[in-house]
Amino acid sequence: MDKKAWEKKFRNSGLREADFSTISGRPLEPLYDWDDLADLNLKKELAYPGEYPYTRGVHPSMYRGKLWTMRQFAGMGTPQQTNQRYKFLLEKGQTGLSVAFDNPTLYGWDSDHALSIGEVGRTGVAVDTMEDMEILFDEIPLDKVSTSMTINAPASWIFAMFLANAEKRHIPFAELRGTLQNDILKEYIAQKEWIFPPEPHLRLITDLMAFCADHVPQWNTISISGYHIREAGSTAAQELAFTLADGFAYVEHALRAGLDIDDFAPRLSFFFNAHLDFFEEIAKLRAARRIWARHMKERFKAKNPRSWLCRFHVQTAGCSLTAQQPELNIVRTALEALAGVLGGCQSLHTNSMDEALALPSEKAVEIALRTQQVIAFESGAANVIDPLGGSYFVEKLTNELEEEAERYFRKIEEHGGVVPAIEKGFFQREITRAAYEYQMALSRKRKISVGVNEFVNEDERLEIPLLEIDESVEKDQVRRLGEVRKRRDNGAVRAKLEALEKAAAGTANLTPFLLDCARVYGTLGEISAALISVFGEYQEQPFF
Amino acid sequence: MGRPLAIYSSRHQRIYLGLDRNYIFVRTGASIGRSLGPELWDDFFKGSRLACARLITLVENSPELVPEIRDKLIPRQKGAIRVGITGPPGVGKSTVTAALVRRAVKAGHTVGVIAVDPTSPFTGGAFLGDRVRMLSLIGDPHIFIRSQASRDGHGGLSPSTPYVADVFDAFGMDRIFIETVGVGQAELDVLTCADLIVLVLQPATGDIIQALKAGIIEAADLLLINKSDLSGTESLLESLRFLFEISARPTTIPAPPVLTAAALHNRGLDEAYKEIERLISGHVASGRIREKKRLRLEGEMKSSVLQDLWGRFAALTNAPEKMRTAAENLLENGRSPYPFIRNLCARITMEVRDERTNRKDHG
Amino acid sequence: MAEKKIKIIIAKPGLDGHDRGAKVVARALVEAGMEVVYLGLRQTPESIVNAALEEDADVVGLSILSGAHMTHFKRVKELMDKNGLGDRLLTGGGIIPTKDQDKLKDLGVGKVFGPGDDLQSIVDYIRKWRGSQGD
Ligand code: B12
Ligand SMILES: Nc1nc2c(ncn2[C@@H]2O[C@H](COP(=O)(O)OP(=O)(O)OP(=O)(O)O)[C@@H](O)[C@H]2O)c(=O)[nH]1
Ligand SMILES: [Mg+2]
Repeated sequence: MDKKAWEKKFRNSGLREADFSTISGRPLEPLYDWDDLADLNLKKELAYPGEYPYTRGVHPSMYRGKLWTMRQFAGMGTPQQTNQRYKFLLEKGQTGLSVAFDNPTLYGWDSDHALSIGEVGRTGVAVDTMEDMEILFDEIPLDKVSTSMTINAPASWIFAMFLANAEKRHIPFAELRGTLQNDILKEYIAQKEWIFPPEPHLRLITDLMAFCADHVPQWNTISISGYHIREAGSTAAQELAFTLADGFAYVEHALRAGLDIDDFAPRLSFFFNAHLDFFEEIAKLRAARRIWARHMKERFKAKNPRSWLCRFHVQTAGCSLTAQQPELNIVRTALEALAGVLGGCQSLHTNSMDEALALPSEKAVEIALRTQQVIAFESGAANVIDPLGGSYFVEKLTNELEEEAERYFRKIEEHGGVVPAIEKGFFQREITRAAYEYQMALSRKRKISVGVNEFVNEDERLEIPLLEIDESVEKDQVRRLGEVRKRRDNGAVRAKLEALEKAAAGTANLTPFLLDCARVYGTLGEISAALISVFGEYQEQPFF
Repeated sequence: MGRPLAIYSSRHQRIYLGLDRNYIFVRTGASIGRSLGPELWDDFFKGSRLACARLITLVENSPELVPEIRDKLIPRQKGAIRVGITGPPGVGKSTVTAALVRRAVKAGHTVGVIAVDPTSPFTGGAFLGDRVRMLSLIGDPHIFIRSQASRDGHGGLSPSTPYVADVFDAFGMDRIFIETVGVGQAELDVLTCADLIVLVLQPATGDIIQALKAGIIEAADLLLINKSDLSGTESLLESLRFLFEISARPTTIPAPPVLTAAALHNRGLDEAYKEIERLISGHVASGRIREKKRLRLEGEMKSSVLQDLWGRFAALTNAPEKMRTAAENLLENGRSPYPFIRNLCARITMEVRDERTNRKDHG
Repeated sequence: MAEKKIKIIIAKPGLDGHDRGAKVVARALVEAGMEVVYLGLRQTPESIVNAALEEDADVVGLSILSGAHMTHFKRVKELMDKNGLGDRLLTGGGIIPTKDQDKLKDLGVGKVFGPGDDLQSIVDYIRKWRGSQGD
C-alpha cells in the first residue's frame, strides 16, 4: 500500500470530531513516517549521548550512570517547620533539597515590613537573616546534599547568607553544591518578583558568576527558567525560545563585562516545565539541548564542551493540576514526570496532588516523590538512553520546535534584544494571549480537563488532608527578627551596609560586600534598601 | 425637596432610597441609574470625592441629565485650564500625562485627569489601561483621576468628556488634563474641548507626518517628541522642521514649539511643563483661551439648537422614514435629491405653526 | 434607557505575582462588554479603594493566590464601607479554601472563584449581581 492509498482509507474510516492539536495549539498529522525525516541528517542532528549537539542527552551514560536528582521544592512557615520537612523528605529517599521562600523574602522584604502583613510564611519559608539559614539547614550536611534555592531578585544576598552560614559551620565553599535560580529576566517576563530595573540586576548576576567561578566552583550560579514562562500561560515553543533567549542575554552580558565564556558557561543551568502534552514536551527538551549547544559553540565560540551543555531541572506543570478530583493529579503528574525523564532531565520535581489547593501536605508530597521512584525503579524508563530517539513523530516535533524557536530569536533581535523586548512587552503580550486562548479553549470545551469541564463529579467532597499555615508563624518570625536586631552588633551592620552602598555606586564586584553584610546579621530588607538607594526600583508596565 | 427629580418619569416603575443617603436608585427596566439627590449636590460642593465620582457617572450614563447638571455646575466653575494630550497609540501619552500632573501639583495646582481608552466596536467593552501608568499619582488629595471608555464618541474622546471636565472645574480643580484615545490619522484635529493641545509623538511614527499636514499643525499648541531615548528622534525633528516651512499656516500664528522628552526616564518633562505653563499664560493674556471658550459655547448652542429642532422636526414630519424611502427611489431612478429636500424643508414653517395652534387648543 | 456599562476594577493586592488568572479574567470581562480598569500587581487596599472611588466602579475584583486573602479582602471591604462604597460588589478569585470562602461571605464579600471555574460563570455572576441591583 502506498501513502496515498492509506490516506484515503484513513479519511474514509469515520473520524472523531475533536481537536487534535497539542495543548499549545500545534496542529498535528495523524501519522508521521520516513518522509518527515527525509531532509534530516539524523546522524548529525542526533549524534550520541554526551556528544555534540547533545540531542540525546548531556552524558554518555545518562541514567545508567546516575539517576536524575529527586528534588522536591519545599518551604513553608518558619525555618524550623521547613527544616522538619527537609528531614522528612531526605528520610523518604529524596536526593537533593530545594528551598521555596515566602513572598516577602522573594521580594527582598523583611517579615516586619509594613507590606509583609498577612504574607509571612504563607507561600514558602521566611528568611530574614543568617540566623534563619542556620535554623533552616540545621543538621543537614550541606557538603553532601545539593541545595537548590528558588530565589531571584535578592538571590545574591540570600546566597550570601547561605555562604556565611556554611562558613560558620566550617564547610569550605568549594564543597558546596547546588543551584541558585537567580534568573531575573524571566521575573520581568513571568514571575514578577523584581526589585531594581534590569541593568543593576544583571550586574549582580554577572558579579556572582565571577565570584563563584573563583570561590564556589561547584555551584550553578543561575538556573535559566522556562518553567515560570510556561506556567504564566505560554506555549511549549514560547517556553523554549524565551528561555534560551534569556540564556543568550546572560551570556552576552557576562561577555560584555569581560568574563571568559568558558569560565562561567559551564555553571549555567536550565529549568523547564513538563506539561501534559507528552510528546511535545519530550521534543521540547531534546530541542533545548540541541539549540543551546549550537549557539554556544557556533555563535559564542565557546571552546570547552561543558559550556555547550544544556543541563536542566524539570518540574511538572502546576497549572495542569486541578482543584476538582485532586487525586487525578497523581496520574497527570506521573505522565508529566515520565516526559521529563524521557526528555533527559538532570533533576526533577513532581507536584503534589493538592497543588491547586494549598502548599503540599506531607502525605501529598510523599506520593509525589514516590511517583518519581516508581518511574525510576519500576517502569524501566531509565534503562535505555533517549528511548524515543528516532521516532518519526518525536524527531519531527523536535525539529519543528527548533525552527519555531529560531523564528522567535529573530523577532526578539528585531526588538533590539531581550531587555528592550521586555520593556516593550513583547514576551508578556505573547504569553498573555496564549493563556487567554487556552482558557477560552477550556471554556468552549475545545480542550478537555477531566473533572473540570468534562466528567465532572457533582457534589464533590474534598477527601484529602490540606496543609494550613498557622497565624502564629508571622508573629513568631517577626518576634525572632526583632530579637536578632537587638542582639547583633548594630554598629558593624551599619558600617557594612554603608560599604555596600558605596560599592554599588562604583563598579566593584558586590558579592564580597553582600557576604560581609550577611556575616554580621544584616537583614534581607536592610540590604535591599541599601541597594535600592543606589539602583532605584522597577515599576511594572502590565501588557495585554 | 424643592425641585422634582428629573429622571423620574412614567417609564420608571419604582423609586426608592438606596442604602446610602447620597443618591437614589431609580429602576429603569433591567438597569439602574444613580440619580441626583439634593444631598449629592451638597456633598459635591462640600468637596466629597465620592460625590464627584458619582456626578461624573451620571454625566457619563445619563445624557438627559446633562443640561440640569450643567445648570448647577457652570456658576461654580472658575475656568480651569483644560490641557488635551493626544497622539497615536502607545507613544507615551499616559506616562507623559502622569509626569506633567506631578509637576502641576508641585506647582500648587489641583488637578483632574480624564483618561480615555477605546471601546471595542465588537464587544462594547473597554480596557481602561491609562490609570495603571499613572499609579504613582494615586492617593494624592490634589489629584483626581477618572478613566473613561470612548463609547460612541469621536476624536478620541467620550461624548461626556467635556462635561466631566465641567464637573472637575466646579469641584475646584484648576488644571484638567485630558488624555485621548490613541488616535489615528483622521482624528487628530478634533480636540475642541481643550484650551491647549499637546501632541505627543515618538520617533519612527513615520506616516504620522502625512496626517500632520492635514491640520494638526493648526490645532496643536505644543509638539512633544517622547521616547527620545530611542533612535530616530533627530530625523523626526528634521521632518517636522521641513513640514513647518512648507505649511500654509498664516504667518500671524507661529509654528508650535517642538520639545523632546523621555517620560519613562523622567527626562525633558520639566521643560515641557514649563513650556505648557508659559503657553497658558500667553494664551490667557492674548485672549486666545477666552476665544476658544467662546467658540466652544457658540458651537454648543448651535449643536443643541440643531439637535432640538431636528428632534421635533423628525417627530412631526416622520422625516427619517421618508428620507429612507426617498433615498431608495432616488437611487433607483438616478435623480437629484434637491427637489425632495426643498419639499421637506418647505414643511418646516408649516408644521411648526401647526404645533403652535395645537398648543393653543389644548392650553 | 440603554443598558449601562458595568465598570470593574481588577487588582492584585499584596505581594502576589500570580497574574495569569487576573489577566485572563480581565480580558474575558472586556470581551463581555464591561469596562475594566486593571490595576495590576502590588496594590495596597488603599490604592484599590481609591481607584474604586474615583472610578465610581460597580465591582471590585481581587485576585489572590498567595494565601493572604483574609488580610486583604477584609481590609479592602472595610475601606470600601468606610468610603461609601458598601453597596458595590467585592468579588475575586484565587486559591481560597472553602472554609475561608465562608468567612469572607460573612464579611460581606461576594462569591470568590477558584481554579477551574469557567470564565463564562464569572461573567454571568457579575451580570446577575448587576441585574439584581435594580430590585
Ligand atoms: C501558574 C502558577 C505560578 C506561576 C505564575 C505565573 C503568573 N504570572 O501568573 C509561577 C510559576 C511564576 C508561580 C510562582 C509561585 N507560586 Co504559583 N502557582 C501557579 C499555579 C500552578 C496555577 C495558577 C494559575 O495561573 N492558574 C490558571 C488561572 C487561569 O487560574 P486562577 O489564577 O486560579 O484563576 C481562576 C480563578 O481563581 C478565578 N480568579 C482568579 N483571579 C480572579 C479575579 C477575579 C476578579 C475573579 C472574578 C476571578 C478570579 O478565575 C480564574 C478562572 O478560572 C498554582 C496552583 C494551581 N494549579 O492553581 C500555583 C500556586 C498558586 N503557587 C503557589 C506558590 C507558593 C508560588 C510561589 C510563592 C512559589 C515560591 N515559593 O517560589 C511563587 C511565587 C510567585 C509570585 N510572584 O507570587 C501556591 C500558593 C499556595 C497558597 N496560596 O497557599 C500554589 C497554590 C501552588 C501550591 N500548591 O503550592 N506560580
Ligand atoms: N523607551 C521609552 N518608552 C516609553 C517612554 N515613555 C513611555 N514609554 C513606554 O511606552 C509604552 C506606552 O506608554 P503609555 O504611556 O501607555 O502610552 P499611551 O500613548 O498612553 O498609550 P495608549 O493610551 O494605549 O495609546 C509603555 O510601555 C511605556 O513604558 C519613553 O520615554 N521611552
Ligand atoms: Mg494611555
